[in-house]
Amino acid sequence: MDLFGDYTLRLVALGSAVLGATSGALGAFAYLRRQSLLGDAVSHAALPGIAIAFLLTGSKAPLVLMVGAGLAGWIGTLVVRVVVGRSRVPYDSALGIVLSVFFGVGLVLLTFIQKQPNAAQAGLDSFLFGQAASLLRQDVVTMAVLAAAALVILALLWKEFKLLSFDPDFASSLGLPVQRLDGLLTLLLVMAIVIGLQTVGVVLMSAMIVAPAAAARQWSRRLLPMVFLAALIGVFSGVAGSLMSSIVPRLPTGPTIVLVLSVVVVGSLMLAPQRGLVWRFLRLGRLLRAPDLDPVLMHLYALSLQHAGDPEHGHNIAVLRTMSPSGADVGAALEGLADRGLAQQTGDGLWAPTPIGRREAERVLEREAES
Amino acid sequence: MKGAGGEWALEVEDLTVAYADQPVLWDVDLQVPAGVKMAIIGPNGAGKSTLVKAAMGLVRPVAGEVRIFGRPRESARGQIAYVPQRATLSWDFPTDVLDVVTMGTYGRLGWFHRSGAVQRQQAGAALEQVGMTAFLRRPIAELSGGQQQRVLLARALVQDAPINILDEPFQGVDAPTERAIIDVLDGLAEEGKTIIVVHHDLQTVPEYFDSVLLLNVRAIDSGPVSEVFTEDNLRLTFGGRVGVLETREIEV
Amino acid sequence: MRKVLFLAAVAVMAACGGHVTAPEENDGLRVVATTTIVGDLVRTIGGPEVQLEVLMGPGIDPHLYKASAGDVRRMSSAEAIFFNGLHLEGKMTEVMERMGERGVTTVAVGECLAAEEFITSTAFSGLHDPHVWFDVGLWAQATRCVADTLAELVPAHADAFRNRAQAYHDELMAFDGWVHGRVGYLEPEQRVLVTAHDAFSYFGRAYGFEVYGLLGVSTASEAGTSDVKELAHFIFERRVPAIFVETSVPPRYVQALKEAVEAQGFAVEIGGTLYSDSLGDRGTSAGTYAGTVRANVETIVTALSEGR
Repeated sequence: MDLFGDYTLRLVALGSAVLGATSGALGAFAYLRRQSLLGDAVSHAALPGIAIAFLLTGSKAPLVLMVGAGLAGWIGTLVVRVVVGRSRVPYDSALGIVLSVFFGVGLVLLTFIQKQPNAAQAGLDSFLFGQAASLLRQDVVTMAVLAAAALVILALLWKEFKLLSFDPDFASSLGLPVQRLDGLLTLLLVMAIVIGLQTVGVVLMSAMIVAPAAAARQWSRRLLPMVFLAALIGVFSGVAGSLMSSIVPRLPTGPTIVLVLSVVVVGSLMLAPQRGLVWRFLRLGRLLRAPDLDPVLMHLYALSLQHAGDPEHGHNIAVLRTMSPSGADVGAALEGLADRGLAQQTGDGLWAPTPIGRREAERVLEREAES
Repeated sequence: MKGAGGEWALEVEDLTVAYADQPVLWDVDLQVPAGVKMAIIGPNGAGKSTLVKAAMGLVRPVAGEVRIFGRPRESARGQIAYVPQRATLSWDFPTDVLDVVTMGTYGRLGWFHRSGAVQRQQAGAALEQVGMTAFLRRPIAELSGGQQQRVLLARALVQDAPINILDEPFQGVDAPTERAIIDVLDGLAEEGKTIIVVHHDLQTVPEYFDSVLLLNVRAIDSGPVSEVFTEDNLRLTFGGRVGVLETREIEV
Repeated sequence: MRKVLFLAAVAVMAACGGHVTAPEENDGLRVVATTTIVGDLVRTIGGPEVQLEVLMGPGIDPHLYKASAGDVRRMSSAEAIFFNGLHLEGKMTEVMERMGERGVTTVAVGECLAAEEFITSTAFSGLHDPHVWFDVGLWAQATRCVADTLAELVPAHADAFRNRAQAYHDELMAFDGWVHGRVGYLEPEQRVLVTAHDAFSYFGRAYGFEVYGLLGVSTASEAGTSDVKELAHFIFERRVPAIFVETSVPPRYVQALKEAVEAQGFAVEIGGTLYSDSLGDRGTSAGTYAGTVRANVETIVTALSEGR
C-alpha cells in the first residue's frame, strides 16, 4: 500500500513529525521542571501576538505571524515571572491569569480584525485549531529549520539544562548563569510551541507539550532515554494522526494527532512496568499473598529484638498467640517457618528465629521503609 | 586561622535580607577562618539557610557584602561546594547516582564539553569516600534518605573546593550515615578545607564542630565552640526554649 | 506593553478605515444588511428612500463573522435587517433571533426563494447550501421579497420600491442570458470549477459546471489531508487547467492543493481570484453584484479555456 506516496500526506506527516519531535523533547524538560502548564499559557498567549503581527504588518506570511506568536508567548512568560516575583500570587494562578487575559485580548483583536477588508485572507482563525492540510512546502521548511536550531541548542547545552532542571541552586553555586539558562530553555519551549501552531492550533498545542513527556516518564529511568522517547512519541503521534486523517475524509488532522497522543499516554500510565497502574495492581496482589510477609515471623523477630544479646532466647508460643489474631494457627505457622529454616524450637513450647529468619525479617522491614 | 594571604575564608559584613518586607537576616557580621568546622545554629526561621544562600549568591541581599578569601563573591567562582537540603530536590528525576555526582564536575568542565572518563573516575572516587560505590547505577528515586545525603555529599566532594557548605545534612538520616558524613568532614578539615554546616541538633555541636555561629535573624555570637556555645548565648538565641541544655554539662 | 500595542493596533485600524460603511445620509428608512451581496440588492431596490448600513466589508468571510457590540447597536436601532440566511452568517444566528424578538423586522433574503430551488448540503444534512446568489436567474427572485418588505414598512414609497424591483428583476434576467452565452465559450467537459470552498453549487447547476470546493460549504470546517489528496487526484486525472482562489478565504488552501497536483506531475495554474462570499471593493467595477458576477465569469472562462 503506497500510503506515503501521496504528496500532501508526506508533507503533513513531515510537518507533524517535526512538531512532535520538538514539542516532545522540550516538553520533557518542561515536565521535569514542573512547568507543563507554562506550555499551555504560552500557546494561548500567542494568539494576540498573531493578531497584532497581522495588524502591524498587514502580512499573512506564516513566518511573520509565527514571530508575532513567539514574541507574545515570550512576553507572557515574562509577565508571569514579574507577577510571581512582585506579588503574593502563586505560580499557577499567575499562569492562569496570563493565559486567560492574553487569550481574551487575542479573541477581541480577532473580532476587530475580521472587519478589516481582506483580513479573511490571512486565515487568522485557523490558528485556533490548526489547519494541517494547508501546509505548504515553505511552511514545513521553516518549521524544520526552527526545530533544528532548537534541538541543536538543546544538545549543546544538554548538561547545563539537565543540572538546571534537577538542582538550580547547585547549578548557581557552580557559577552557572541560572537566570539566563532558564530564559533560554523557556525560549526553546516557545519556539517548539510556535512551530506547532499552524498544525494543531493554539488550543491543542499544550497537549503536544505535556503528553509525550508524561508518557515517556513512565518508561524511562534516565534523562536521555526519556527525552528521546518523548520525541519519538511526538513523532509517532504526528505521523499516525496525519495518516489517519488522510484515510478518513473530513477528519481534521490536528485533533486526530492529539487523540493518538492521548491513547499513548493512557496506555503508558496503565501498562508501563514499575510505574504503570496495571503493574502496580498486580504487584500489590502478589504482596498480599506473599508468604514472606508471614506475620508470625515478624512477631518472633520483634520479640527477639528485646533480647539482642541472646539470639537463642526462646519465646513462649502463648505470647505469639496473643500477638496474632484469634483463630490463627500459630503452631502450624511455626512448623512451616521451621521447615523453611526461618525459625527453630529452642525448648518445649519455646521458639526463636534463626539467623536466616532474622535477616529475612530485616529485609522485609527495609523494603517497607523504602516504598 | 586565616588563609594563606591572611584573609578569612568567608566574610560577611552587614548582611541584611528581607522577604516581602520581613527581615530574615538583619545586619549580620561573620568571619569564618579557613580550616574550621563551623555549625550555624538557631531556631526555625532564624535565617540559617538564607545566610548560606546569600553567601553563595542564590539570594540577593538588601544590604551588605560577602567576601570569599578576600575577594568579592561574584568573582570567586568555584570556591564553594554546596550540599543543599535534601528535601528541596525532586528525587523523582530520571537519573542515577553516578550522574548526579558527575554534575559536580560541570563547573570545571566548561560549556559544550561532554563529561567523559576522567569525570566518571572522579565521581567514582568521591562515591567511594562516602561508601556508595555499590550504588553507581541506581536510579536516585530508589535511594533511602541516608543514601541520598551521601550522594549529595559526594557531589560536593568531587569539586574539591576550599569551602564546603552543607544545609541540614544530618536531617532524617540514620546513625551510620551520620557517622560516615562526620568522618568525611573531619577528613576535609584535616586537609585544611573550611566546613560550614547549618545544623539542628544542639547535642552534637561540641562533638562535631570547633566553631559555631548562633543566629536568630541577627548574629548573636560566633567563634570557637568552647567560648561561644554557652547557656546564656543559647538562651539569647532560642529565647528561653533551650531546655535540653539545662540538664547537661557542656564539655570543653 | 500590551496596552501600547493594543492602542497602536486600534490607531492603525482607524487610519485604514476599513469597517462598516457609513450610513448614507438622508431621512430614509434605517436599514441594515449583513453581506455586501445582500447590501447591493437592498441598495438597488431601496434607492434614496432607505438609509443603508452594511456590516461586512468586501473580502470578509460571512461564515466566520461574529457580530461586534457596535453591530448589535446598529441592528437594534434599525427598522429592518436584511441577511442572507440559510446559515451563511453562521455565527450570527442567535443575534438575529434576538433582533427578531426585539421587534426589528428581519428578512432572510435567501430563504424567500422558492423551496424547490435549494440544493441540500451534503455535509450538514437537513440544511441547504446558502450560496444562492451566483445563479443570477434565481437571485432575481429575491427582488420580490425585498420590495415587499420595504413596501410594507414604508407604504408611501411602495410603488417606487416595486417599480425598481421589477426593473432590476428584468435586468437580472437579461444578464442571466449573457452569462449563459459567455460560458458557452467553454466545451461542457471544460466546465470544471475547483475553488477553496463550496460557494458555487448554484452557479454550477445553473450554467452547467462541475463544482468542487476543498473546504466544503462552510469555511469554518477544516479540510483533512484526504480531501486535499482526493481533489488533487481528481484535478490530475481530468487535467483541469486552472483552480481558483477566493477573496474571502486564505489562499493557502488552494496553494497547498496546487502543490499537491504538481507533485503528481501536472502543472495546474491558479486561474485567478474569484469573489465568493463577498462583492469587490466599492467604487471598482466589481463593486456591484453585476460587476462581481461579470468579473467572476470572465476569470473562469479565460482560465479554463487555456486548455484548448
